[in-house]
Amino acid sequence: MRIAVQRIVILAVILASWQGASLWFGAQWIPAPVATARALWLQVQNGELWYHARFTLSAAVIGFLIGGIPGAVLPFLIRRLATLRAILDPYLIAGYGAPKVALTPLFILWFGIGLESKVALVASVVFFLVFFITLAGLDSVDQKLIAAARVFGAGPALIAREIIWPGAIPYVFTGLRVAAPYAIGTAVVGELISSNRGLGYSIQAAATNFEPAKLFVGVVALAGIVLILNAVLDFCEKRLLSWRPTGGIAERAQTSF
Amino acid sequence: MLKPVSDIAPDRAEPLLEVRDLARTFGARDGRAAGLNVIEGLSLAVTEGEFVTVAGPSGSGKSTLLNMIAQTDRPTAGTIRLRGKTIMDASTSTLTPGWHCQIGYVTQEDNLLPWRRLEENILLPLRAQRRLDDAARARAAALIDTAGLAGFERFYPHELSGGMRKRASLVRTLAYDPPVILMDEPFGALDAQTRTELHADLLRLWSLRRKTIIFVTHDITEAIALGDRVLVLSRAPARVIDEFRVDLPRPRDIDGLIAAPGFARLYESIRQALARQAPRRA
Repeated sequence: MRIAVQRIVILAVILASWQGASLWFGAQWIPAPVATARALWLQVQNGELWYHARFTLSAAVIGFLIGGIPGAVLPFLIRRLATLRAILDPYLIAGYGAPKVALTPLFILWFGIGLESKVALVASVVFFLVFFITLAGLDSVDQKLIAAARVFGAGPALIAREIIWPGAIPYVFTGLRVAAPYAIGTAVVGELISSNRGLGYSIQAAATNFEPAKLFVGVVALAGIVLILNAVLDFCEKRLLSWRPTGGIAERAQTSF
Repeated sequence: MLKPVSDIAPDRAEPLLEVRDLARTFGARDGRAAGLNVIEGLSLAVTEGEFVTVAGPSGSGKSTLLNMIAQTDRPTAGTIRLRGKTIMDASTSTLTPGWHCQIGYVTQEDNLLPWRRLEENILLPLRAQRRLDDAARARAAALIDTAGLAGFERFYPHELSGGMRKRASLVRTLAYDPPVILMDEPFGALDAQTRTELHADLLRLWSLRRKTIIFVTHDITEAIALGDRVLVLSRAPARVIDEFRVDLPRPRDIDGLIAAPGFARLYESIRQALARQAPRRA
């Protein structure tokens, strides 16, 4: 309850500063919150917002699944193949570290300026994030639990099912949670570079046409989408990880599993 | 509730578990020319139903000894025999942790699965061994009850106190009934009060089914309170340098133990044996 009140206070401060900045610099540079809200309402009503948001969301969600599922599954498959891991390591690091945005022209060349090139871009970003965080999770599963289980007669299948999988799930979730805003952001970047639809395109078009209110609508809509996405992931995580001590992220970070 | 079995004298004739000339050397590493000899020429024998405590200075390889008996670690030399059959020697190529569920191991940490409720944790070994039937469930329930954990079956480990988690870890091993149980300072991290309670609980649980127990500790009082026999280890490289029979009658009253006749003398003898092992410059 107190948190909710404090959040509203912070929102008020942000809106007030925004309004102040708008007055100071002029509405042609920074449209006021009310003007932005009006533009948002207009875009909601005439379906323009949903038209663009749907495109961005599709790119983000499809890319998230195409990159995220192999990113979460592959570490489980190569977990015990130390040699393969050692061989692949530099390539994976390079793939993780390379700026995927630089691949955008290539993806556009391959897949055109439609949805496919954005999906490819998102997938390439999400895959590496989820992959590395999941792999780190698998490596950090408590070896003492495994040793104890071997002593009381647990075979590899039971150890995988009862210890490694549940031990790694929190990391898989962390990976997905970190990757989710990146998926949205990457889809938008793809659209900014070349597209004829999507929130990124809408923002770019608004800037070109000198419609700052419309531009702000795009940014606000993106922030809203990320918040909703996070809430969905939160819900799934709570359902799947009911065994964990409740508490904030900081508290959870201190809990050793 | 289960009834304690009558006080049978352990069979002196044939040792159930025998360790002969055991040695463990940890490999030489950078900056350490020779390998580290943790255990060398260690021999001991335990008869069926005997509760043996092993006292030794810290760093004397007590955990390493149990790891090798449990086969989570490999000896450099020596043999380990169970019921006269060699289960481990220098020629053994693969480790068989727990030797086909014949050797249980209660470690310093409780090693309960944080994502499983107390009851699921306790039944896990039985499930792993495909022995989870109604009789096994009933026996586990009786053990849970005797350990004072009734009513907490649906709790996750993080919702339990340290003492309760220790009890759960103990019951998990007792529930699948291995003939030999190794214990590595299982009550080390607890406060004195809880420790005493757990000593009493352990002895009560043990009296139900006289398992063969090797219990490692650096606490002399604990070694006397629990054991039929106290073995004293030397400093590394560890071997058994002394042995004391504990003639205190069972069932033992843990709280009144210190006042029991003979306790003080036994304590002093063990203390002196250990003191001779203390590092020369400390």
